[in-house]
Amino acid sequence: MQIQLIVLSLLLCFSVIASDESEMKLLFTRYDQVMSSLSDQVEDVFSKKFLEENGGKEGFQEKIKGLAKSNFKSMPVAKDLSFKKGVKSDLYFAKYTEKRTEKSLKGSHTGSQFIIVREDGKLKIDGTLSDGE
Amino acid sequence: MMTQLQAQDCVNCTPPVYDPAPEWPIEYITVKKVDYPRNEKASFCQRPPEIVDTIVLHHTETPSTKNALYINDLHLNRGTAADPWYMVAYSYLVNAPYPKESVPQSLVSEGRPIDIVGAHAGSNAFVTMDEEQTKAYADGKITCGKEGSVFKVDPTIVRGNTIKANVTTIGLVVIGNYAPVSRQNPGGYSPRNPRYPTKETQDMIARLSCQLQKKYPRMKNIRWHSNYNSTDCPGSIKNYVGQIVARAEELGCKFN
Repeated sequence: MQIQLIVLSLLLCFSVIASDESEMKLLFTRYDQVMSSLSDQVEDVFSKKFLEENGGKEGFQEKIKGLAKSNFKSMPVAKDLSFKKGVKSDLYFAKYTEKRTEKSLKGSHTGSQFIIVREDGKLKIDGTLSDGE
Repeated sequence: MMTQLQAQDCVNCTPPVYDPAPEWPIEYITVKKVDYPRNEKASFCQRPPEIVDTIVLHHTETPSTKNALYINDLHLNRGTAADPWYMVAYSYLVNAPYPKESVPQSLVSEGRPIDIVGAHAGSNAFVTMDEEQTKAYADGKITCGKEGSVFKVDPTIVRGNTIKANVTTIGLVVIGNYAPVSRQNPGGYSPRNPRYPTKETQDMIARLSCQLQKKYPRMKNIRWHSNYNSTDCPGSIKNYVGQIVARAEELGCKFN
């Protein structure tokens, strides 16, 4: 009976991790689309607080307009997503690093930690934090 | 200095008053003490503050309206359940005025006490030890452990004649986002409206740095995060280090 309970809780734990992972991947796929101005579903990606702090939906979209026109847009990019749950609160820290494959830009950027919260049942980006350690 | 009153001397009197030694030999700026929650299960390292020779500038990358307790709360969530962070990673946090975006007044808050090694430059960053730092390590004065445990020398903090940069530096962070918007930093400033450390911000950093040097004369260098790791931190602040050093010189301090 005890073994069954342990197996059941392990299975539950694994399924929660797997669902978090797929949800996180989906969030960053949407993030890429928004940041490339290929989608205007900003509210699906960012928390209400983040948007308030960044000039509202229109203000934020205006701010990121230039990113889509970046000189580096056409370069092949390798992306790497990893995340950890917060130690004390129900939030996540995600690292989403890009590695440009052109010779002159080889090497990865340490990047920031994305702060991810759950809002209205969905994972959303609440901001970033400079990465230290 | 007032002396402690003996119990029998005190009839209907207020509790004895002590006159503590001044914390700062010269006070160029007021530093607010904050009572931070800490994670008592976390490991951390202690050091003699006298071995610190470098101030490392950072920005938090958060909105400038956030305060030191908010940063502490985020840092208490960093790490893993098995290896969590102890408390806010920086030794000093500066709430600098910024038009329409900042807290109402400028404020310097003490973060992680200076005798506790910070977590800001990057755990993979090592720097060459000078004679005094080498001696402090060899004498077992840099030790690691958990609250309530025996602190021990940790051999992983040194590699040959180098030591983790966090051990010989302190982190001074300006609360705000001073880097341009990018895919790594969606909260960054718009290229049309660049953000930079104002004169008042530069002055606050210079005053705090100078105050630290007056107390710890070995603190002679000002560097910034991207000197230790590939990062945008501290954004445009790094372009103003020359002005900060010049302002500190006006106050009577010399930084490299």
